[in-house]
Amino acid sequence: MTGTDIMDDMRPAGTATAAAVAKIAARNVQVFYGETHAIRDVSIDIGDRTVTAFIGPSGCGKSTFLRCLNRMNDTIAGARVEGRITLDGEDIYDRRVDPVQLRARVGMVFQKPNPFPKSIYDNVAYGPKIHGLARNRAELDVIVEASLRKAALWAEVKDRLSAPGTGLSGGQQQRLCIARAIATSPEVLLMDEPCSALDPIATAQVEELIDEIRTQFSVVIVTHSMQQAARVSRRTAFFHLGHLVEYGETSQIFTNPRDPRTESYITGRIG
Amino acid sequence: MTEQHILRAFDRDLEAIQEMVMRMGGMVETAILQAAEALEARDEDLAAKVRAADKAIDALEEKINEEAARLIALRAPAASDLRTVLTVMKIAASLERVGDYAKNMAKRANVLGHMAAIPGAGGSLRRMARAVVQMLSDALDAYNTRDVALAGDVRNRDRDVDQMYNALFREFLTHMMEDPRNITACMHLHFIAKNVERMGDHATTIAEQVIYLVTGALPEETRPKAESVTTIGIEGK
Repeated sequence: MTGTDIMDDMRPAGTATAAAVAKIAARNVQVFYGETHAIRDVSIDIGDRTVTAFIGPSGCGKSTFLRCLNRMNDTIAGARVEGRITLDGEDIYDRRVDPVQLRARVGMVFQKPNPFPKSIYDNVAYGPKIHGLARNRAELDVIVEASLRKAALWAEVKDRLSAPGTGLSGGQQQRLCIARAIATSPEVLLMDEPCSALDPIATAQVEELIDEIRTQFSVVIVTHSMQQAARVSRRTAFFHLGHLVEYGETSQIFTNPRDPRTESYITGRIG
Repeated sequence: MTEQHILRAFDRDLEAIQEMVMRMGGMVETAILQAAEALEARDEDLAAKVRAADKAIDALEEKINEEAARLIALRAPAASDLRTVLTVMKIAASLERVGDYAKNMAKRANVLGHMAAIPGAGGSLRRMARAVVQMLSDALDAYNTRDVALAGDVRNRDRDVDQMYNALFREFLTHMMEDPRNITACMHLHFIAKNVERMGDHATTIAEQVIYLVTGALPEETRPKAESVTTIGIEGK
């Protein structure tokens, strides 16, 4: 990968547009929870090696849509997904796709840090082990260290890898979960409000981390903090009442949104 | 944007800052008109009043900038709110410059009061000043009502002011060539004319800020322009 296209990523985007290559393409996606029509006809292209933010008021469908991208909604009884979502052109809802394999390619970090009740080492080693990514302990050690380094946690935990992951501070736990998510070398990382349970310093650390890993993965982040979306993302999608209202360069969305609903939301006029 | 913010203090802050700009605009318009009147009527008291009033205009600009900085820091405005704050700061800066030009006109009016009058100059400058005040007043109205059409009209009128300036430039040149004793007065009058012409440019800038505020983009540079006097003196002009 060349350095320059990545380096441009976080700068005020100016007029440069898009998502050069669509990593994920969604077309006419509908989601139903029983009778509830939660996502209405959403089509979106998500770029590779770029940070995409989903914003919108509570209940707008942004988390629901995020969960479609690695078939997490499969686990919810009564949830039904229609339309087409492709990862590198491959339909992820195809019958032949194994959701477990898919989730190794499309990792996820949740709102509340949820480390396994295991050691720090085992938390990170778990994914690579079950997916057979390491042939022996030495290879596993390499993956664990690399993942913890990418998650900017290595220096803080390298001397206590056998200590329980649950004993870390909240911010450290969340970075541990990020290390766990990236240990399987995913291509896409989904983050569902990853900082809402963290203090400002831990939030800044996670944001710095996002800024680092965007050179390797496509990152999609759902956030309630519009300032966070503005800080970390290159493109922003605004959801409202199950619709994708507006999708564009983050700098454009925050200075000159096209849709009055986007304007009302980001200026604090509708909730 | 007529909808209210959920946090109503935000609305109050934005309204307050815009109200200050309107107040500043009113003060600047008065300063121009009074300076022009002082010039034509050779009224030294009025000229002194204009010079003193400029302090209040400067102070108001400073207050607007402080409030704008506070609003950015505390409220993190976005989209049209952000554009409102940005345009408020730019407009205040333009108004402050115009205020300075009016003060300068008042100073020169005092000097000119002690010299032989150049016939017709005071009246011409006063007409030009009125045209500029009308532009300023319309630009500020356009700001208040978010009226892009009116703002575009103000931009187009800048050409008229430029033409008045060009005409005065030639007139003063003629007076100076006819009688060198007119040179001092005409130099002062020329600076006044040039400053009034600059006021028109600032009114145009304000009108362009209105367009930016409403549409999110500055207008293309396509407005009509008057012939420039920059090349006068070159053979054949």
